[in-house]
Amino acid sequence: MGTQSVKTLILKDGKVLARSKAFSGFEPSKAAEETLAKALAKAKLTKLDLDHVTATGSGMEMALVSDSTVSMMGADARAGVWLFPTGRTIIDVGAEEARAVKCDENGIMIDFVVNERCAAGAGAFIEAMARALEVKLEEMGPLSLKAERASPINASCVIFGESDVVTLIHRQESKPEIARAVFDAMADRVSSMLFRLGLTPEIVLVGGAAKDVGFVASLKRKIGVEVLIPEFPEFAGALGAALTAANRVR
Amino acid sequence: MVDKKKYVPEMTQKEIDEIRSSIKSASKRIMADYIERMKKTSNNRPEAMSYFDDIADLFGQRERELQAAKQDGTKIVGYFCNFAPIELIMAADAIPVRVNSGWYDTAKIGDRVVPVEVCPMVRSTIGAKMIGLSPYLELSDALISVLTCDGMTKESEILSDFKPVFTMPIPRVKDSAHSLRFWNDEIKIAKDYIERLTKNKITRKKLKRSIELIHKATRTFRRLQELRKGPPVIMGRDAMLVNQTFMWDDTKRWIEKTEALCNELDKRVQDKIYACPPDTPRVMVTGTPMIWPDNWKLPSIVEEASPQGVIVADELCSSDRLLNDPVGIDEWSMDDMFHGISERYLMSSTCPCFTSNDGNEDRINWLLNKVKEWKVDGVIYYVVRGCMLYAMEYPRLKKVLDNLNLPIYYLDTEYTREDVGQMKTRVEAFLEMLTARVDL
Repeated sequence: MGTQSVKTLILKDGKVLARSKAFSGFEPSKAAEETLAKALAKAKLTKLDLDHVTATGSGMEMALVSDSTVSMMGADARAGVWLFPTGRTIIDVGAEEARAVKCDENGIMIDFVVNERCAAGAGAFIEAMARALEVKLEEMGPLSLKAERASPINASCVIFGESDVVTLIHRQESKPEIARAVFDAMADRVSSMLFRLGLTPEIVLVGGAAKDVGFVASLKRKIGVEVLIPEFPEFAGALGAALTAANRVR
Repeated sequence: MVDKKKYVPEMTQKEIDEIRSSIKSASKRIMADYIERMKKTSNNRPEAMSYFDDIADLFGQRERELQAAKQDGTKIVGYFCNFAPIELIMAADAIPVRVNSGWYDTAKIGDRVVPVEVCPMVRSTIGAKMIGLSPYLELSDALISVLTCDGMTKESEILSDFKPVFTMPIPRVKDSAHSLRFWNDEIKIAKDYIERLTKNKITRKKLKRSIELIHKATRTFRRLQELRKGPPVIMGRDAMLVNQTFMWDDTKRWIEKTEALCNELDKRVQDKIYACPPDTPRVMVTGTPMIWPDNWKLPSIVEEASPQGVIVADELCSSDRLLNDPVGIDEWSMDDMFHGISERYLMSSTCPCFTSNDGNEDRINWLLNKVKEWKVDGVIYYVVRGCMLYAMEYPRLKKVLDNLNLPIYYLDTEYTREDVGQMKTRVEAFLEMLTARVDL
């Protein structure tokens, strides 16, 4: 139950049977019902076939279809280690929140940090900045990779970030450079959080922002190590919840 | 018209009255709601708690008692940090009341004077004074403010727009050769001030009597904290409320009621009646003081969370640090008593405002001691924005606890109700982590 979208994932004997996704909108519980129905249809199952449903995410209490809940950090840890057994630090950058979890080989979290109630380190920042640059969200990443140099902006929050971007526009910086500045600022915030936690290899990056090549490039530059990214990074939370559900059935 | 106030902007009486009455009625609801929730958290809450539920009402019995005392000519001395020598205030037949503000809504009023970056407890206290919300602050004839941090230093200056404020500079390096001497002199100057204020002489006999009374309170206080070492016979929130009411209650009555509570708890230990399942994760909280009534959100989140936690210990100047350290006395001479008082407030204090040439080992050691003796499973380090001392100390404690493999979580917040959801998410993840090996 993410802040921007709801994802459902069905797991059976360690295999993912179906995934589905919808905007949370104004009625997240309805969106949850919808994604569940869609996923069930894809997997050719009915509700009765489900042994246990676990919800996670900031709106997890609104998932009326669930039998139990698990914290987002707990879900990240489980999913990260399941996807990459050598993963020990799981970074999750979603729409409104960034967090990082340190975990053991069983996917049990040992420690975690969350960004300080500020969207500048999360996906919503990219969206706001894309608007300011008048480019599509998915163009931001590829655009930033064309930048020849870095022009720093001081993103303490989305609002100030936006005015910083306007300053760059007035200075007639090119769009690629500004796009890169946006990702660098965001990676700055995420990495300072990571350094407080300590970077235990290997590093796994999940959440919607992991799909953005611009952010990934900036983050790698900041932390100086490789990051592992799964095929469906935005489903990591749902996967972690499903893994927890499987455990709770046992 | 010349504005005589140094800091505070003028507000019309009408505006003051309107804001006060709306915050006051909201506050009454909030207090009642918290008490209800505390009752619900534990299905066998000690009966002796009902006294503390009542005395916790900031607009209730105690306000009326203080009003009556004041009418009879008794002076009331408000104080902020836990360093004001209450023994001296009592020895001058005056009543000490701690007046830090826990109201969230008055922080917004304080914003009219100082910027939002300032510690919210300070902003809230200033705001409370501006609208005359706090009965104890209003009834105070003078305020004693110990300059422990930057916020407190300037807050005293700002409040002198309203009340006589006696400031006490406290040395920040404990083991410097002249710190204790300096502080001992300050205590003596405070004595003169209190005597002038109350027009009562602090005699040897009276001082001895008040030190003995606080000794008694300390014994009772420690008895209660000892009872929290075993399987939980009382929820942390309840114990914290008992501790905190000491700040304004009549000391003799507080001792009597707390002893009665401890007797009840002793029986529960024998009968194995627990306030929550004995395997509930045991949490210690430390950091910024949590002042009743509004700033009660963290303990409430922890003990109402799923999975639930129980606060078995805290290291807060609004709770456990209040009475932990007694005044040590060798002989009941005036000099010796002053020395004992100086020692109690300076050398024994584990406030992070101090540092020392040996690296402030005593605070860290005390925290470790608490973790061990109260069998703590995890620590929540609570910091309100603008509280520099705690925010900056955290990395050190984190390192120490990491070495012991003991989880600690840094939780930063504000004087606001809006972030309760986010705080809950974090606290629940932390509690889940503490129970992980059992649950998953």
